[in-house]
Amino acid sequence: MPATPRNKTYPKNFDQVTVTMPLLGDYTSSKFSMFPESASTFSASSDWMFYFISVICLIFFVGIAAALFWFAWKYKKPNGQRAESQVDHNTTIELLWSIGPGFILVIMFFWGAQGYLDHRSIPEGAYTVNVKAFKWGWTMDYGKGVMHPELHILVDEPTKLTMTSEDVIHSLYIPAFRVKKDIVPGRYNYMWFRATTASEKVSDEELAKATEWNKGSTWDYDKHQFTPDGYRFYDLYCTEYCGRSHSEMQTVVVVHESREELDAWIKKYSKRPDDESPASYGAKLYERRGCISCHSIDGSKVVGPSYKDAYGSMRELTVGDPVLVDENYLRESILYPKKKIAAGYAPVMPSYKGQLSDDDIYSLVEFIKTLSDKSDAQPDADSQE
Amino acid sequence: MSAVPAGYEVKDPGFPTPKENFLTNSKGFLSWAFTLDHKRIGLMYLVGVSLAFLIAGLLALGIRLHLLAPDGWLFNNALFQWLAPEKAPNDIYNQVFTLHGAIMVFLFIIPSIPAALGNFLVPVMLGAKDVAFPRLNLSSFYLWVAGALFFVSALLASGLDTGWTFYTPYSTTTDSSVILATTGAFILGFSSIFTGLNFIVTINTMRPPGMTWFRMPLFLWATYATSIIQVLATPVLGITLLLLIAERTMHIGIFDPEYNGDPVTFQHFFWFYSHPAVYIMILPAFGIISELISVHSHKRIFGYRFIAYSSIAIALLGFLVWGHHMFTSGMSPMTTIIFSALTFTVSIPSAIKVFNWLATMFKGSISLTTPMVYAISFIFLFTIGGLTGLHLGTLSTDMHLHDTYFVVAHFHYVMVGGTLVAFLGGVFHWWPKMVGKMYNEMGGLISACLVFIGFNLTFLPQFVLGSRGMPRRYATYDPEFQSLHQMSTWGALLLGVGLFFALGVLLASMLRGKKAPANPWGGATLEWACTSPPPFYNFERPPVVGDPYEFGNIEWDAEADRYVKVEPEREVVPDETPAAEPAHAADGHA
Repeated sequence: MPATPRNKTYPKNFDQVTVTMPLLGDYTSSKFSMFPESASTFSASSDWMFYFISVICLIFFVGIAAALFWFAWKYKKPNGQRAESQVDHNTTIELLWSIGPGFILVIMFFWGAQGYLDHRSIPEGAYTVNVKAFKWGWTMDYGKGVMHPELHILVDEPTKLTMTSEDVIHSLYIPAFRVKKDIVPGRYNYMWFRATTASEKVSDEELAKATEWNKGSTWDYDKHQFTPDGYRFYDLYCTEYCGRSHSEMQTVVVVHESREELDAWIKKYSKRPDDESPASYGAKLYERRGCISCHSIDGSKVVGPSYKDAYGSMRELTVGDPVLVDENYLRESILYPKKKIAAGYAPVMPSYKGQLSDDDIYSLVEFIKTLSDKSDAQPDADSQE
Repeated sequence: MSAVPAGYEVKDPGFPTPKENFLTNSKGFLSWAFTLDHKRIGLMYLVGVSLAFLIAGLLALGIRLHLLAPDGWLFNNALFQWLAPEKAPNDIYNQVFTLHGAIMVFLFIIPSIPAALGNFLVPVMLGAKDVAFPRLNLSSFYLWVAGALFFVSALLASGLDTGWTFYTPYSTTTDSSVILATTGAFILGFSSIFTGLNFIVTINTMRPPGMTWFRMPLFLWATYATSIIQVLATPVLGITLLLLIAERTMHIGIFDPEYNGDPVTFQHFFWFYSHPAVYIMILPAFGIISELISVHSHKRIFGYRFIAYSSIAIALLGFLVWGHHMFTSGMSPMTTIIFSALTFTVSIPSAIKVFNWLATMFKGSISLTTPMVYAISFIFLFTIGGLTGLHLGTLSTDMHLHDTYFVVAHFHYVMVGGTLVAFLGGVFHWWPKMVGKMYNEMGGLISACLVFIGFNLTFLPQFVLGSRGMPRRYATYDPEFQSLHQMSTWGALLLGVGLFFALGVLLASMLRGKKAPANPWGGATLEWACTSPPPFYNFERPPVVGDPYEFGNIEWDAEADRYVKVEPEREVVPDETPAAEPAHAADGHA
């Protein structure tokens, strides 16, 4: 199995959940819920509406089902017995049950549309993050060249997402916020929400333990239930089918308590720290910027060619003579991926022009070099981090 | 004939049993392959759609078995990796759910009731010899076969992984067999149009004297409404699929943003057909249920006109609500809200039907036969399916539920709990007429109960999965959803057992079943007036058209285990007296 980023989550009481088979939903957690946790201003109103509709449906359903079974039992007759009545219409009753339910539907429609307009009325001055969706991952653009797959936002402040797709249609869904919007290539779609519950931060010991456990591999969000920075999170899913790794196209939302905390987090990811080697930083970019979803580092074939032993080898192309994989080829493939397509692969990689700084590209190339024994660069001691 | 009250005389249910029926009047493969007999074509369709259902059903079981484990159990395990080493994980699952949907929709649900049961029943219910255009009828069957072959070849070539919806730009860029599959769907569209056209002409022109529009069996109303949608909506699908093929091969820039197209346009085009198609799938089921409830309650259908008009209302309103598949696509708020309002209006005609069926059962004389139990099961399941549509039509809740398992559960309650259960009820109801044999009643009842329990166990958990945030079309999922997924899988296996059981009961009846009487249930529509199975020309002489829901002159004949038509002994009156008298009276007063 190739390495793919799996940013999914285990419930905090995962061990208990699998032991018993609840009848309907998760009875083993402290309280039964039809919904995931509620963490935005939309959650409460959406859930209230859901219960309102459900109660009305239940009244109708119980009535219909009761009549259905009662009639089937009460009027069951042996063959040949005639029906008690052959009445075949009653205009009053028929008009009543044709028109009556309409009034309830009008209320449902009206409240539903009202709630929906809130989703579409984006407050001015909202904190804005640009979202790029691609097969199969997310890039959240915080401006000034800071990009990261995790979505970090502020509590109690409206957040606006300006979203576009690099390839096919995706859809951004945060169950805890009860929001969803398709992301369509060739246009911008917008969504907004106001988070109401900040993400907890785990203790330093817990974080250190997890970091130690996770050393040398991709961060396992499922196992730890917090981000590499130690924050608890909300799930963010892709809900428009987009191909092979659609179900792994997940990331997380972290809600910060204060602007300072958020700014500090953004600053941490703004550029390569002075004391970090390019190859080590490149390894981080490989995961963070989504290269990992299409290129393996263990030689297995995923969507694109593996990085393993790539550097210094000769590469067959779909058109033209084979080329030597060197710094120039790698740089060109990152910036203009459709120019030279490796034989046996589809031209599906989006361009990273304008999305990676020169230092980022340099770091990535250095990282790719460390994966090949033909590389003249020696692997750094800390590049396996 | 002890059950026949004094003063009544027994009339023969139809006509003297002919020596040959439509099954035996000619023999050999060619006599079936080139038959123009609507009943044989109907049976060939029945076999065809059942095979398609078998394949798509097994794919569904594959899906459920795959989802036993969060990382994907069936198709991601070592065996499948070994069988298809060139596929990456999830590839097989994605192709399986695509083919499950595409085969179920295009090859099974759309043709199931209209083409299989409809072909058999429409002319017989009309007292006619055949449909208006028998050759067109045969050609629509062969178009169905051709479409099916294209689907099979897509499966064998490189699979199909777009979902049955073929959304662009995924479908214009994936390297799976999109063109083969869309060509198949295009051809199937013509099969559907031809069937619809044939039924419209047949019902308009071939009703026997005395059968006015409002003396037609409700199954014919439903079929008529369905045919209107088939003829009006399916061409749009054909055009859309041709555009998709053109986009894929020539990059003309309609749907693909890379060539300045708009992918959302495809969704509008696609759902402009595919939402009405939902009513192609469910309307004939309504027709079946109207017949089943009335016949097995031995009571006049309640609210005939409301049921008939509601079919037409659904057919027309169904054209105006396609946008509710696209509430999250980024349409303007005004468009979205209008589509939401229209969506609510379409729920009313369906509710009217449910209330009328219940009123028909009220004070009836209900026989809990297999078809009746399927019909009761239908009302129960369809009510759930219909009511959960309100959560999705309401905009604020749809923002959460769109494209989750809630939607999956909702439309399976309508399509499986609705259409499939009605189809099974219809097959059990008309089986004696079609093959001339009675099936084992207890076996039929057991199959109905297994299907009911298995179905609910499969899809009730999926509502909760959806409201808890599980997206649809996921090959792998978060472990917190596992217990609900497992429950759903056990339900699916039980449902599978129930369906195979139903098949077994029907097949066994062909070998060992009792000979079926002309009218085993006591129905008053014309198909019960001819022998079981009907002779080649259905009726040896034109049948007398009566009220399709008048049960007053149908009596149970316990000794022969059948229903017979009785008529009060009438005094012999001269022919001219009744009609002439009022005229004379009028003259006298004038």
